[in-house]
Amino acid sequence: MLGLGVESTAHTFSCAIIEKNGKKGKILSDVRKIYRPPDGEGIHPREASRHHVENSSIVLSECLKEAGVKIKDLDIISYAAGPGLGPCLRVGAVVARSLASYYKIPIYPVNHALGHIELGKLLTGAKNPLVLLVSGGHTMLLAFLNKQWRVFGETLDITLGQLLDQFGRSIGFASPCGKNIEDLASATSNYTLLPYSVKGNDVSFSGLLSASKPIAKKNKADACFSLQETAFAMISEVVERALSFTGKKELLIVGGVAANKRLSEMLQDVCKRHTCKFFIAPQKYAGDCGSQICWTGLLESQVKSGVSIEETFVRQSWRLDSVKIDY
Amino acid sequence: MKLLKKGAEADIYLTKWSNLPSILKIRKTKSYRNLVLDAKIRKQRTIKESQMISEVKSFGIPTPLVYFVNLANSSIIMQEIPGIPVHDLPDLKIIKLSKEIGRLVGIMHKNGIMHGDLTTSNFILYKNKVYVIDFGLSQKTIKSEDHAVDLRLIKEILNSAHAKIMEPALKNFLSGYKSVVGTMTYSKIMHSVSDIESRGRYATVV
Repeated sequence: MLGLGVESTAHTFSCAIIEKNGKKGKILSDVRKIYRPPDGEGIHPREASRHHVENSSIVLSECLKEAGVKIKDLDIISYAAGPGLGPCLRVGAVVARSLASYYKIPIYPVNHALGHIELGKLLTGAKNPLVLLVSGGHTMLLAFLNKQWRVFGETLDITLGQLLDQFGRSIGFASPCGKNIEDLASATSNYTLLPYSVKGNDVSFSGLLSASKPIAKKNKADACFSLQETAFAMISEVVERALSFTGKKELLIVGGVAANKRLSEMLQDVCKRHTCKFFIAPQKYAGDCGSQICWTGLLESQVKSGVSIEETFVRQSWRLDSVKIDY
Repeated sequence: MKLLKKGAEADIYLTKWSNLPSILKIRKTKSYRNLVLDAKIRKQRTIKESQMISEVKSFGIPTPLVYFVNLANSSIIMQEIPGIPVHDLPDLKIIKLSKEIGRLVGIMHKNGIMHGDLTTSNFILYKNKVYVIDFGLSQKTIKSEDHAVDLRLIKEILNSAHAKIMEPALKNFLSGYKSVVGTMTYSKIMHSVSDIESRGRYATVV
């Protein structure tokens, strides 16, 4: 079975084609174009959506060419219907809707966060994991129970990705800033105490963000190091709490921030303590990509036959824990 | 000494104190954590826990007796409560006990203490009495926002680990809670709970 997935929730516009055979999936192509805001600025939804519009046809045709597939060979089309930035989401939805209605191919709206998890599971082979989803849009700890992903802990305000990006931008980096912060942090080991806010299984990063900025005025590297150490220790603690509470024996990390080496080093240590298997999405597929949408759509096609064009809305704040999963 | 449980932040051993069966809770160094931060967290929580566990007794919250505190290795020796964590009880029993849990949380809040880690595994049923444990994240506070953080957490736990019985359990919890704090305070705190939820990611605001 051949599927096309269209992702456009935030800065990435991506199309991917996956061939599904039973429980196995093979990524035939995954093409992306990423909108880069000017240094020190965040995503401007209008500019990002303009970028997506301008690049959509190139990405789509490259994706088809690379996979050696024609549009009419496709069995299903899925698109990221949320959560994300409205103007960006609409671009992906328009692309998917146009193809689906012109070529009469079944269409599936997919939850972007669910996509991260399903692709992570496909690529790592994790069976029944506790999932840590860390990205620009999410910081959540999830476990599957009774046909739904349940939230065992999450951020009460901004996400880990936002914390890194907003701090990075304040010292002049271009978003996404995770890599720059990681590199700068590795240059020092001077730790300054910063607000550490764990509330039960939840975390809150806003105070940490405000407190890090004045330190950066004295020394940028020290601030990056202290920020990372504090934020990641908070994440590690809530992961430990959730592991011990749920008794899960697998941990899967997905989302853009999964690319951070220091974070995965700390979490590997956590897993060792709890004799738990550690899985991390491969760097290339940790961040936003068409494959995550495509694969989830293919999974859904096992039990559903797509939706009518009238139902292909986008939902900017579509929480993962409200999605019913029947496959 | 027998290791009972490797908890999230501490290891729990069964030991003896003056011939009494007791619990040794030791917050070990975590190698992944920065040393300065690690030392601060372990010390702070050990002090906080040992103080609070005794203080809440004064207004009638059943908690273990603290026998000994050792700050050098961040450990506490306390009375063993050989009951069953509410988390592991049958669903019907949890629904029934939720009211009592709500009442206990209400008493703590009324006396200016937030527990900070209200999960169903931190309440132990022993001889028909519900004991509260694990005060490492507790705080002295009369702010309704802080109390609301407590309520939000128990709501999150019921909604995830006990999803099947979420509604009746939460209803009972809240009725027990309300019976202690009174209608006025109750509605104020519930308002703060919605405030906190609306600040979360993709809350149903748009």
